[in-house]
Amino acid sequence: MIHRFIQALDDKFGFEQASAHCDIPCGIYDPITAQIAAVTVVRMMDLIADLESKGAHDVSYHNTMSRYIAVKEEHAEKAKAEIRIIWGDFIKAQHIEKHPNVHEVTHKIMMLGSKARQTVDREAAVQFVEAINEFAEIFWSAKGMATKRVKSPYNPPLELVYPVV
Amino acid sequence: MLRFIKVLGYSLAPDYREGDFVLIAKIPFLLNRLKRGDTVVFSHPVYGTMIKRVESSGAKKGEIFVVGTHQDSVDSRQFGAIHTTDLIGKVIWHIRQPGKAH
Repeated sequence: MIHRFIQALDDKFGFEQASAHCDIPCGIYDPITAQIAAVTVVRMMDLIADLESKGAHDVSYHNTMSRYIAVKEEHAEKAKAEIRIIWGDFIKAQHIEKHPNVHEVTHKIMMLGSKARQTVDREAAVQFVEAINEFAEIFWSAKGMATKRVKSPYNPPLELVYPVV
Repeated sequence: MLRFIKVLGYSLAPDYREGDFVLIAKIPFLLNRLKRGDTVVFSHPVYGTMIKRVESSGAKKGEIFVVGTHQDSVDSRQFGAIHTTDLIGKVIWHIRQPGKAH
Protein backbone atom coordinates (compact mmCIF):
# COMPACT_ATOMS: atom_id res chain seq x y z
CA MET A 1 0.00 0.00 0.00
CA ILE A 2 2.66 2.46 1.08
CA HIS A 3 4.99 1.10 -1.59
CA ARG A 4 2.31 1.67 -4.23
CA PHE A 5 1.84 5.24 -3.06
CA ILE A 6 5.56 5.97 -3.16
CA GLN A 7 5.83 4.20 -6.51
CA ALA A 8 3.19 6.61 -7.82
CA LEU A 9 5.22 9.54 -6.50
CA ASP A 10 8.32 8.08 -8.16
CA ASP A 11 6.45 7.72 -11.47
CA LYS A 12 5.47 11.37 -11.21
CA PHE A 13 8.64 12.93 -9.84
CA GLY A 14 11.36 10.38 -10.57
CA PHE A 15 13.37 9.84 -7.41
CA GLU A 16 17.09 9.51 -7.55
CA GLN A 17 18.32 5.93 -7.67
CA ALA A 18 20.96 4.34 -5.49
CA SER A 19 22.72 1.33 -6.86
CA ALA A 20 23.34 -1.75 -4.78
CA HIS A 21 25.79 -2.97 -7.38
CA CYS A 22 25.95 -6.68 -7.68
CA ASP A 23 27.10 -7.21 -11.21
CA ILE A 24 30.57 -6.21 -12.32
CA PRO A 25 29.77 -2.71 -13.44
CA CYS A 26 33.26 -1.38 -13.80
CA GLY A 27 36.53 -2.79 -12.67
CA ILE A 28 38.01 -3.41 -16.07
CA TYR A 29 37.86 -0.47 -18.43
CA ASP A 30 40.84 0.34 -20.62
CA PRO A 31 40.94 2.39 -23.81
CA ILE A 32 43.97 0.39 -25.00
CA THR A 33 41.74 -2.00 -26.97
CA ALA A 34 40.36 0.95 -28.92
CA GLN A 35 43.87 2.37 -29.40
CA ILE A 36 45.16 -0.92 -30.80
CA ALA A 37 42.13 -1.26 -33.06
CA ALA A 38 42.66 2.26 -34.42
CA VAL A 39 46.36 1.60 -35.10
CA THR A 40 45.28 -1.57 -36.92
CA VAL A 41 43.12 0.60 -39.19
CA VAL A 42 46.17 2.69 -40.17
CA ARG A 43 48.17 -0.49 -40.69
CA MET A 44 45.52 -1.89 -43.03
CA MET A 45 45.57 1.32 -45.05
CA ASP A 46 49.35 0.98 -45.41
CA LEU A 47 48.98 -2.63 -46.53
CA ILE A 48 46.24 -1.66 -48.98
CA ALA A 49 48.46 1.05 -50.51
CA ASP A 50 51.39 -1.34 -50.67
CA LEU A 51 49.39 -4.08 -52.39
CA GLU A 52 47.93 -1.62 -54.87
CA SER A 53 51.39 -0.36 -55.77
CA LYS A 54 52.40 -3.84 -56.90
CA GLY A 55 50.07 -3.58 -59.88
CA ALA A 56 48.82 -7.15 -60.20
CA HIS A 57 45.02 -7.39 -60.23
CA ASP A 58 44.59 -11.14 -60.23
CA VAL A 59 42.44 -13.32 -58.00
CA SER A 60 45.09 -13.39 -55.31
CA TYR A 61 45.13 -9.58 -55.27
CA HIS A 62 41.36 -9.39 -54.86
CA ASN A 63 41.43 -11.97 -52.11
CA THR A 64 44.12 -10.17 -50.13
CA MET A 65 42.60 -6.74 -50.74
CA SER A 66 39.20 -7.95 -49.52
CA ARG A 67 40.77 -9.25 -46.36
CA TYR A 68 42.59 -5.97 -45.66
CA ILE A 69 39.39 -4.03 -46.18
CA ALA A 70 37.40 -6.38 -43.96
CA VAL A 71 39.92 -6.03 -41.12
CA LYS A 72 39.94 -2.24 -41.54
CA GLU A 73 36.13 -2.18 -41.29
CA GLU A 74 36.05 -4.45 -38.29
CA HIS A 75 38.70 -2.61 -36.30
CA ALA A 76 37.33 0.86 -37.00
CA GLU A 77 33.96 -0.32 -35.70
CA LYS A 78 35.55 -2.06 -32.72
CA ALA A 79 37.42 1.10 -31.70
CA LYS A 80 34.19 3.09 -31.90
CA ALA A 81 32.29 0.51 -29.85
CA GLU A 82 34.94 0.33 -27.12
CA ILE A 83 34.98 4.10 -26.72
CA ARG A 84 31.19 4.24 -26.60
CA ILE A 85 31.21 1.70 -23.76
CA ILE A 86 33.70 3.67 -21.67
CA TRP A 87 31.92 6.93 -22.43
CA GLY A 88 28.48 5.50 -21.69
CA ASP A 89 29.26 3.29 -18.70
CA PHE A 90 32.29 4.74 -16.97
CA ILE A 91 32.16 8.49 -17.49
CA LYS A 92 30.08 10.13 -14.76
CA ALA A 93 28.91 13.67 -14.05
CA GLN A 94 31.96 14.55 -11.98
CA HIS A 95 34.27 13.45 -14.82
CA ILE A 96 32.36 15.61 -17.28
CA GLU A 97 32.65 18.52 -14.90
CA LYS A 98 36.42 18.08 -14.86
CA HIS A 99 36.74 17.26 -18.56
CA PRO A 100 33.92 19.14 -20.30
CA ASN A 101 35.40 18.27 -23.72
CA VAL A 102 34.80 14.52 -23.28
CA HIS A 103 31.59 14.55 -25.35
CA GLU A 104 33.25 16.49 -28.15
CA VAL A 105 36.23 14.11 -28.19
CA THR A 106 33.92 11.07 -28.20
CA HIS A 107 31.87 12.48 -31.07
CA LYS A 108 35.03 13.28 -33.00
CA ILE A 109 36.12 9.65 -32.57
CA MET A 110 32.78 8.44 -33.97
CA MET A 111 33.08 10.71 -37.01
CA LEU A 112 36.71 9.82 -37.72
CA GLY A 113 35.98 6.12 -37.21
CA SER A 114 33.26 6.27 -39.84
CA LYS A 115 35.59 8.08 -42.21
CA ALA A 116 38.20 5.37 -41.64
CA ARG A 117 35.65 2.79 -42.73
CA GLN A 118 34.40 4.70 -45.75
CA THR A 119 37.76 5.76 -47.18
CA VAL A 120 41.46 4.95 -47.33
CA ASP A 121 42.29 8.43 -46.06
CA ARG A 122 45.39 7.69 -43.98
CA GLU A 123 45.49 11.21 -42.57
CA ALA A 124 41.97 10.76 -41.16
CA ALA A 125 42.94 7.38 -39.70
CA VAL A 126 45.95 8.93 -37.94
CA GLN A 127 43.61 11.61 -36.56
CA PHE A 128 41.36 8.75 -35.41
CA VAL A 129 44.28 7.28 -33.41
CA GLU A 130 45.08 10.70 -31.97
CA ALA A 131 41.46 11.42 -30.97
CA ILE A 132 41.40 8.09 -29.10
CA ASN A 133 44.68 9.08 -27.43
CA GLU A 134 42.97 12.27 -26.25
CA PHE A 135 40.13 10.17 -24.87
CA ALA A 136 42.65 7.88 -23.14
CA GLU A 137 44.23 10.91 -21.45
CA ILE A 138 40.83 12.00 -20.15
CA PHE A 139 40.02 8.46 -19.02
CA TRP A 140 43.27 7.93 -17.09
CA SER A 141 43.05 11.40 -15.60
CA ALA A 142 39.54 10.54 -14.38
CA LYS A 143 41.04 7.46 -12.74
CA GLY A 144 43.64 9.71 -11.09
CA MET A 145 46.53 8.30 -13.10
CA ALA A 146 49.27 10.05 -15.02
CA THR A 147 49.92 9.12 -18.64
CA LYS A 148 52.86 8.96 -21.00
CA ARG A 149 53.11 8.92 -24.78
CA VAL A 150 55.12 6.12 -26.34
CA LYS A 151 55.57 5.09 -29.95
CA SER A 152 53.88 1.76 -30.65
CA PRO A 153 56.42 -1.05 -30.83
CA TYR A 154 54.95 -2.26 -34.14
CA ASN A 155 54.06 -0.82 -37.50
CA PRO A 156 52.94 1.86 -37.97
CA PRO A 157 54.99 3.46 -35.16
CA LEU A 158 52.35 5.93 -33.98
CA GLU A 159 52.32 7.54 -30.56
CA LEU A 160 50.00 5.89 -28.05
CA VAL A 161 48.93 7.09 -24.61
CA TYR A 162 49.63 4.65 -21.78
CA PRO A 163 48.94 4.99 -18.04
CA VAL A 164 51.99 5.33 -15.82
CA VAL A 165 51.58 2.37 -13.47
CA MET B 1 17.29 16.78 4.76
CA LEU B 2 14.85 13.99 3.86
CA ARG B 3 14.43 12.35 0.49
CA PHE B 4 13.20 9.19 -1.15
CA ILE B 5 15.59 7.03 -3.13
CA LYS B 6 14.80 4.03 -5.30
CA VAL B 7 16.99 0.94 -4.90
CA LEU B 8 18.62 -0.66 -7.96
CA GLY B 9 20.55 -3.92 -7.99
CA TYR B 10 20.70 -6.80 -5.59
CA SER B 11 23.87 -6.50 -3.54
CA LEU B 12 21.85 -5.91 -0.38
CA ALA B 13 19.56 -8.85 -1.13
CA PRO B 14 17.62 -10.43 0.39
CA ASP B 15 16.83 -7.50 2.68
CA TYR B 16 16.79 -4.80 0.02
CA ARG B 17 15.55 -5.60 -3.47
CA GLU B 18 15.49 -3.72 -6.71
CA GLY B 19 12.42 -1.51 -6.75
CA ASP B 20 12.31 -0.93 -3.00
CA PHE B 21 12.31 2.64 -1.76
CA VAL B 22 14.18 4.16 1.12
CA LEU B 23 13.71 7.42 2.93
CA ILE B 24 17.09 8.87 3.80
CA ALA B 25 18.04 11.64 6.15
CA LYS B 26 21.02 13.90 5.86
CA ILE B 27 21.18 15.05 9.43
CA PRO B 28 24.65 15.52 10.93
CA PHE B 29 23.42 14.18 14.26
CA LEU B 30 22.62 10.83 12.58
CA LEU B 31 25.58 10.75 10.22
CA ASN B 32 28.04 11.36 13.03
CA ARG B 33 26.72 8.36 14.92
CA LEU B 34 26.78 5.68 12.26
CA LYS B 35 27.29 2.19 13.53
CA ARG B 36 27.79 -1.25 12.09
CA GLY B 37 24.62 -2.47 10.39
CA ASP B 38 23.26 0.96 9.45
CA THR B 39 22.40 1.40 5.79
CA VAL B 40 23.71 4.47 4.02
CA VAL B 41 23.42 6.10 0.60
CA PHE B 42 26.55 7.78 -0.70
CA SER B 43 28.16 9.10 -3.84
CA HIS B 44 31.09 7.18 -5.30
CA PRO B 45 33.33 8.87 -7.90
CA VAL B 46 33.23 5.87 -10.25
CA TYR B 47 30.08 3.93 -9.39
CA GLY B 48 27.78 6.90 -8.77
CA THR B 49 25.08 6.86 -6.12
CA MET B 50 25.21 3.66 -4.08
CA ILE B 51 23.45 2.09 -1.14
CA LYS B 52 25.40 -0.18 1.22
CA ARG B 53 25.61 -1.39 4.75
CA VAL B 54 28.08 0.09 7.24
CA GLU B 55 30.66 -2.51 8.22
CA SER B 56 32.72 -0.26 10.43
CA SER B 57 33.39 3.40 10.93
CA GLY B 58 35.94 5.47 12.66
CA ALA B 59 38.99 3.29 11.97
CA LYS B 60 40.35 6.43 10.43
CA LYS B 61 38.54 9.64 11.13
CA GLY B 62 36.16 10.58 8.34
CA GLU B 63 36.21 7.16 6.73
CA ILE B 64 33.60 4.41 6.63
CA PHE B 65 33.89 0.85 5.39
CA VAL B 66 30.74 -0.22 3.53
CA VAL B 67 29.70 -3.64 2.25
CA GLY B 68 26.82 -5.38 0.51
CA THR B 69 25.27 -8.55 1.80
CA HIS B 70 25.49 -10.42 -1.49
CA GLN B 71 28.71 -12.26 -2.32
CA ASP B 72 29.16 -10.44 -5.64
CA SER B 73 28.66 -6.99 -4.18
CA VAL B 74 30.95 -4.22 -5.36
CA ASP B 75 31.86 -2.33 -2.21
CA SER B 76 34.68 -1.22 0.11
CA ARG B 77 36.31 -4.62 -0.33
CA GLN B 78 37.13 -3.43 -3.86
CA PHE B 79 37.17 0.35 -3.71
CA GLY B 80 38.23 0.90 -0.09
CA ALA B 81 36.66 3.04 2.58
CA ILE B 82 34.41 5.93 1.63
CA HIS B 83 34.62 9.44 3.02
CA THR B 84 31.94 10.75 5.30
CA THR B 85 31.80 13.82 3.06
CA ASP B 86 30.44 11.57 0.28
CA LEU B 87 27.48 10.48 2.41
CA ILE B 88 24.11 11.44 0.99
CA GLY B 89 22.13 10.13 3.92
CA LYS B 90 21.26 7.40 6.33
CA VAL B 91 18.29 5.13 5.65
CA ILE B 92 15.60 5.82 8.23
CA TRP B 93 12.71 4.06 6.51
CA HIS B 94 12.75 1.10 4.15
CA ILE B 95 9.64 0.64 2.04
CA ARG B 96 9.59 -2.89 0.66
CA GLN B 97 7.69 -4.03 -2.36
CA PRO B 98 4.54 -5.96 -1.56
CA GLY B 99 4.58 -9.70 -2.10
CA LYS B 100 8.32 -9.96 -1.83
CA ALA B 101 8.66 -10.95 1.76
CA HIS B 102 11.93 -12.50 2.72
